[in-house]
Order: sequence, then structure tokens, then C-alpha cells
Amino acid sequence: MQMNEPKTASEPRRFAVLQSNSPNEQPTSPADVVITHEDIDRAHDRQRVSATRARRGFRPRLGLFWLLLGPGILVMLGENDGPSMLSYAATGARFGVGFFLPFVVLTFVMACVVQEMTVRLGAATHRGHAELIFDRFGPFWGWFSMVDLMIGNFLTLVTEFIAVRAGLGFFGVRPAVAVLGALLVLSVALMTHRYWTWERIILGAAMFNLAFVPVALLTHPHWSAVGWALVTWKPLPGGLTQETVLILLANIGATVTPWMLFFQQSAIADKGLTTRDIRMGRLDTALGATLATIAALATMLATAPLFLHHMSATNFEAAEFAQALQPFVGYWGAALFALGMFEAGMVAAITISTSSAYAFGEVARRPHSLNLPFKQGRSFYLVLLVEAVAAAGLVLIPGIPLVYIVLLVNVIAVLAMPPALLFLYMLVNDREIMGSLVSPAWANVLALAVVVILVGAGLLFGISVLAPNVLALVGGR
Amino acid sequence: MDQEFHSAPDAKVTRNELASVITALEPDQIISTKEHHHCSRRRLTRTEMLLFWGLRFYLVFMVGVVVYQIWTGVR
Repeated sequence: MQMNEPKTASEPRRFAVLQSNSPNEQPTSPADVVITHEDIDRAHDRQRVSATRARRGFRPRLGLFWLLLGPGILVMLGENDGPSMLSYAATGARFGVGFFLPFVVLTFVMACVVQEMTVRLGAATHRGHAELIFDRFGPFWGWFSMVDLMIGNFLTLVTEFIAVRAGLGFFGVRPAVAVLGALLVLSVALMTHRYWTWERIILGAAMFNLAFVPVALLTHPHWSAVGWALVTWKPLPGGLTQETVLILLANIGATVTPWMLFFQQSAIADKGLTTRDIRMGRLDTALGATLATIAALATMLATAPLFLHHMSATNFEAAEFAQALQPFVGYWGAALFALGMFEAGMVAAITISTSSAYAFGEVARRPHSLNLPFKQGRSFYLVLLVEAVAAAGLVLIPGIPLVYIVLLVNVIAVLAMPPALLFLYMLVNDREIMGSLVSPAWANVLALAVVVILVGAGLLFGISVLAPNVLALVGGR
Repeated sequence: MDQEFHSAPDAKVTRNELASVITALEPDQIISTKEHHHCSRRRLTRTEMLLFWGLRFYLVFMVGVVVYQIWTGVR
């Protein structure tokens, strides 16, 4: 909820004279205040923000951005995860340079529109997404959305460990060692018990998502063809077929998914962002989307030579993509591609399991913060670790159709998005909790356009499966 | 205070830390005061309920389509 914002960093807030948009809020007396470990850590971070904001000039502005960036970049690069990068790789190998380049740019614009709403919600209410759904729409919808998220996240986590396994498989690392190593990294990142430190470590790791850029450059793309495709949205080899629709949905699911809403809003609340930080939060999201778009386009360009040389990549896993690319980009290029896949799975495994833990804590009314010591946040850390361990274990079962799972997880993410977006749309237009920060008309039009595109893509997928002949009526085959 | 929901109070809070928390955080950011700033539950209109359930059925139906595709794929 919006509170009085102090004019300067040093102005104290008076608990007894608070004003709020919510009629249910009661004044708080200092006697009610119980200080927790989590509060102290968050206050420390906020003091640095206030001190930097009080200074004038370009460098302090830059410093302020450095302090406030994080959730937006993490969510966007986190969504460039194992299944997403595999979808982009499959797209490049199947369709080359053409329609899907501008299409992927469009999906990231959609992601920006949606995630900007979570920035405003998180900063204005200081609450996670699941907690707000629970409070505003009641326990039924609260639990419902949390269970939805948990199922989707678990399936996605399975695919992250597939990417980890496949990426390290290129270097001859055995699946069990790769998966256990990933679990160890995930656990070590949590041991900081500090949101700020955790965020910086994961941000550093997420930058390796850009490993796909040098691989793309090594393939010497035809830049004129790239420019032409971005402007004309052509060509689309094979036209509109069932396979095209599946790839279309997989690419949407590679950029816009429910866990992103939950993660970014909870991370903003955990980081302690306020309404004064919304501008920087938007910049953070836009920068994240730009970096993620570059990495996605680079992945498609990197595998485009497979399309040019008519190499079928229908059943490729990440390691096989890397091996197939070796004649075009050399060993080091292929190794970078495999490392990129490992990074994509690793970072996403951390962010997605964290979003589950946040949502569980928010709905089950348990402590939920990365600033908590293990003893105080036992349920938070346990949910996070148990989900990751279960998903990792599933990947090690022999004979599971991994590639199929990867594509379908993205499809399911697209299908689950409209119900999640409806909650978001209603919350961000709720004047009682958002005050003057409710969405302007143009933002609502954009959000509704995203919903229409997602539902339309879902229905197109349904038609392509249940009545493939009907595709011909809309120009397909 | 609902102990189930909130983090445990820190046993060694100094006066400086207390001051810094109260100065730096907005009131509803402090864990123990969150309950004073809760959002009330809102009543859903008939249209909203229809939309919620409509999208829920859409999701269930489409997941069925996905399962059907897997089944045909396996066959």
C-alpha cells in the first residue's frame, strides 16, 4: 500500500500518523513493532538506497540504478531458461532466419508490459503476488493460484535440470554428477541468507546467458537477411502447420510465464522497493528484456546454419545441438553453446524454485524471505530445496522423453498464463491497494492485447491438434 | 501477533538497529506491523467470477488437449 514517502533520506517516518489507501489499515504504535533479522537486513539495504538518492549527479544516479536493479534482469534472464533456449535453438534449426526473429522480439515486448505491472504492484503494496491474491480474493483463489504455480514450476524445474544435464553432457560429465552439482550450487547460493548477496551472485551467473552471442557471431550471420526478416516477418518456411503452431507457442512460453509474475513481485517486496523506485524498477525490467532478447536472437542465429544445411534437429537435446554446431563454430563455439545451456538451466532452477518458496510462504502464512537465517525460514528453504531435489531426481530416470517434455512445458506455460494475468490485471487496477498507481488506460489496452494474443495462440494450438484440417481455413496446411 | 506468519524477533536488536529499521522502512514493510496494513478481501462481481471460472475451464480443457497430443504422439 502507498505510504507517505519522506522528502529526504533523514526524515523519520511516524508510525502513529500513517495514511493509507486502505480503510482497513490501523495506525501502528511503536510498541507494536517487533524487529526481526529480516527487517534489519532490509533496512540496511534501504539506507544505502536513501543515501545514494540524496546525492546529485550522474554517478550517484548510476549507483542508485546499481542498487535497485536485480529483479527485472533476473526474471528476464531467468526466463531464458533451459526449455526456452532449446525452443530458440529448435526454431533456428527448423526455420532459419525469418518470421520467428521479429516474433521473439514481440514476445519480449509482451513480457515487458506484463512485468511492469508486477513492479508497480510490488512497490506499492510491499507484498508478493500470491499473498495479494490470497488477501484480496480469498483463500480459495489464493491456494488455487499457488497450486497452479507449484505444478507449473515443478514441470519447468524438471526441464531446467534436463538443460543442466545436457549442457554438461557435452563435456562428458555424467548425468548424476551434473545434476548433483547443480543442486549443490543452488544450496550454496542460499547459504548467504541475504537477499542482496544472493541477488548479486545470481545476477553474475545470469550474465553468462550472453554466451550465445559469440556463438552466433562465429556462424557469420547474413546481417542483411537478419534486418530483412526483422522488418518483413518473412520467410516462414513450410507455412502455418501443426509444427509451426507448436513452435509458436513454445516461443511465447519461452518469454511469458506465470512464475515470472510471482517471482518479480515477491523479489521486489523482499528487496524492499517502494513507490519512489518504480522508475528504476521499470528500467531494470527493460534492461533485462533487452539482454534476454539479444540472447534469444543470438541462439536462433547460432543454430540457423543447421537449417541452411538441411540438418534435421527434431529430436536434438542441448548437447546434440552443440555437437551439430561444431563444424560451423569450432570446438570453443560449441563448448560456449553447451555452457550457455548449462547456465540457462542453472539460473532458472534457482529463480523458479525461489518463486515457489515465496508463493508457498505467502499463502501458508509462513516466513518467506532470502534475508532469513535457515532456522527462522525453515519452511521457505525446505520448499525450495525439496522441489529442486524432486525435479532433479526425475531427470535421472532413464528413458524419459526429455525433448518432448521441454516443448510441452513451454506450451503449458502459455495456456496457464491467461488465468494468472486476470489476477494481475484486477490487482493492478484495484484503486484500494494501488491508489494513484492503477494502470492507465493505455497500459490496460496493452495488457488486454497480451491476453488476447495468448488465448488466441492457445486456441490455435487446440485447433491444430483437434482439427488440423481447419488450419487450412486460416491460411495453414 | 500471529507468530506462525512472522519471522522470529531478533534477540539482539540494538537501539541503533531499531532506529534504522523505523527510519529506513515504510511501516507496512516491517514484518510485525504487516498485520495492521493488510488488504481487505474484496467481493467479486458476477462477471469477474464468470471470467475466473471461464479461464479455469479453458485451462483444464487445453491441458486435456496437450494430454491428447502426447497420447497421439506416443501412439
